[in-house]
Amino acid sequence: MAKKILCHCEDVETEELYSALRQGYGDLETLKRYTGIGTGKCQGKCCFIQTLRLLHDMVTRTGGMEREATGPKDLMIDPDDIRVPTLRPPVLPLRIKDIVEGERGEP
Amino acid sequence: MTRTADVVIIGGGVNGLACAYNLAKRGMQNIVVLERGYIGIGATGRCGAGIRQQWGLEENIILARESVRIFEQLSDEIGFNIFFRQGGYLILIFDEEEYQLVSKTIPLQNDLGVPTKMLTPGEIGDFVPGVNLDGLLGGAYCPTDGTAYPYAVLWGYGEAAKRRGVDIRVKTEVLSVSHHRDSGYEVVTADDTFRTPRIVNVAGAYTKNIAAMLGIDIPTQPHRHEIAVTESLKSFLEPMIISITKGFYFSQSLRGEIVGGIGDDNETPSFSTDSSPDFLFRYAASLRQTLPALGNVRIIRQWAGLYDMSPDARPIIGTVDDIEGYYHACGFSGHGFMLSPVVSQLLSELITTGSTSLPIDSLNLRRFSQGDLVKDPYVVG
Ligand SMILES: Cc1cc2nc3c(=O)[nH]c(=O)nc-3n(C[C@H](O)[C@H](O)[C@H](O)COP(=O)(O)OP(=O)(O)OC[C@H]3O[C@@H](n4cnc5c(N)ncnc54)[C@H](O)[C@@H]3O)c2cc1C
Repeated sequence: MAKKILCHCEDVETEELYSALRQGYGDLETLKRYTGIGTGKCQGKCCFIQTLRLLHDMVTRTGGMEREATGPKDLMIDPDDIRVPTLRPPVLPLRIKDIVEGERGEP
Repeated sequence: MTRTADVVIIGGGVNGLACAYNLAKRGMQNIVVLERGYIGIGATGRCGAGIRQQWGLEENIILARESVRIFEQLSDEIGFNIFFRQGGYLILIFDEEEYQLVSKTIPLQNDLGVPTKMLTPGEIGDFVPGVNLDGLLGGAYCPTDGTAYPYAVLWGYGEAAKRRGVDIRVKTEVLSVSHHRDSGYEVVTADDTFRTPRIVNVAGAYTKNIAAMLGIDIPTQPHRHEIAVTESLKSFLEPMIISITKGFYFSQSLRGEIVGGIGDDNETPSFSTDSSPDFLFRYAASLRQTLPALGNVRIIRQWAGLYDMSPDARPIIGTVDDIEGYYHACGFSGHGFMLSPVVSQLLSELITTGSTSLPIDSLNLRRFSQGDLVKDPYVVG
């Protein structure tokens, strides 16, 4: 089967997410630290939504709702864990030189 | 529901999980760890990961040295790769007085088996390519200092504890604790009440809040400390670089990122973990000043955590006079990650045997009511 890349910055495959879930690393704050998802240059802007969708699919299935689910069947997800991790500044990567030399505006 | 336990550990940071593991290893059963968030949400998951033995007080040097001995074989012991890397710590010295102090302290460290040596600016230039030598008087370097991945240390201790039967409960906040002469402690959470003859209070900056529920006054203060990480770079930086007088530190992680921070003398005590633009400006300036080539590197993420500051910046470890079955470890003042392997081991000895293999009496809470506090001059930030 072709590999599915979940996080492009850090090259994390969907299968790695499932493997982490199987080992009990269930919430996205922890999955982020365990797999590296969302810790690269885009800081999760591309992959968090995709990850949340996969987690949501699993909850929907274990909740008994009729829906075509992706992902392995043996995983249980706590709906409370489907949250976006705390978003950290800066919004975009900033060059150290630009921070030092740049003008400081008023917030 | 009411449950019973032989010990309840409050706080699932590195000290809580390592203590649970060490207690289980020593044969204790029925151990419960209560953590209100996810594993790593406290200071441990936010820290700079630095492990150094270069301290000014004999007590700190010995504790850190023993911790390094444990870190060196910890991955094997707990069956989890903690990414421990001994790239050394290089303390850059720009100040004549600090140079004198460090020169005087190195022989003490050497006598205690810590192989620190003074490097000349020329040697530093060869060792750290591109470092700015302006105003640099020298640098103290200890090759066996290093770093480990804090989350891996947490997960590793946690998994090893679970395999030995420890009950680790996340998303479980301790709402109240009370002590009763005949029945021991009652630890209340939203779903359960635990009855236990002993508790270990290792709630990080919140340790004093838990202690206050028992009428124990711990004179620590929470201080926000900010930290940031850059994009990944090819490995080029061997040691952790710090300056005691300028208050900054940074190292290159095994993923290639530069991770570091700088203290803020104007920070007032609070439980805030907000990020500030001011930190970014000061930290970026110190990075570019120290390693000008980093000017072209991008910072991708910043965050903050709490130092639990004690009045003399030394940890508070052990029992509290006249209070039975109560143990705590707090007030680590920014260096509790590096000490956790040995501190948790000593706590577990104290709990199971009543004595410890290294002296920790000087770290007892009672020192604050006895006056004469000694501060370690090597504290950063
Ligand atoms: C930015 C920064 C950089 C640092 N750099 C270093 C470094 O390079 N080297 C070093 O050695 N140290 C460093 N430190 C210090 C180090 O992180 C701490 O000393 C250490 O992690 C403390 O561990 P702990 O287990 O005692 O506390 P914590 O990791 O804070 O764990 C305490 C836990 O208790 C939980 N808790 C609190 N209240 C309750 C409650 N009522 N019920 C249930 N649970 C509760 C919290 O959620 C938390 O998870 C740094 C700290 C910061 C903030």
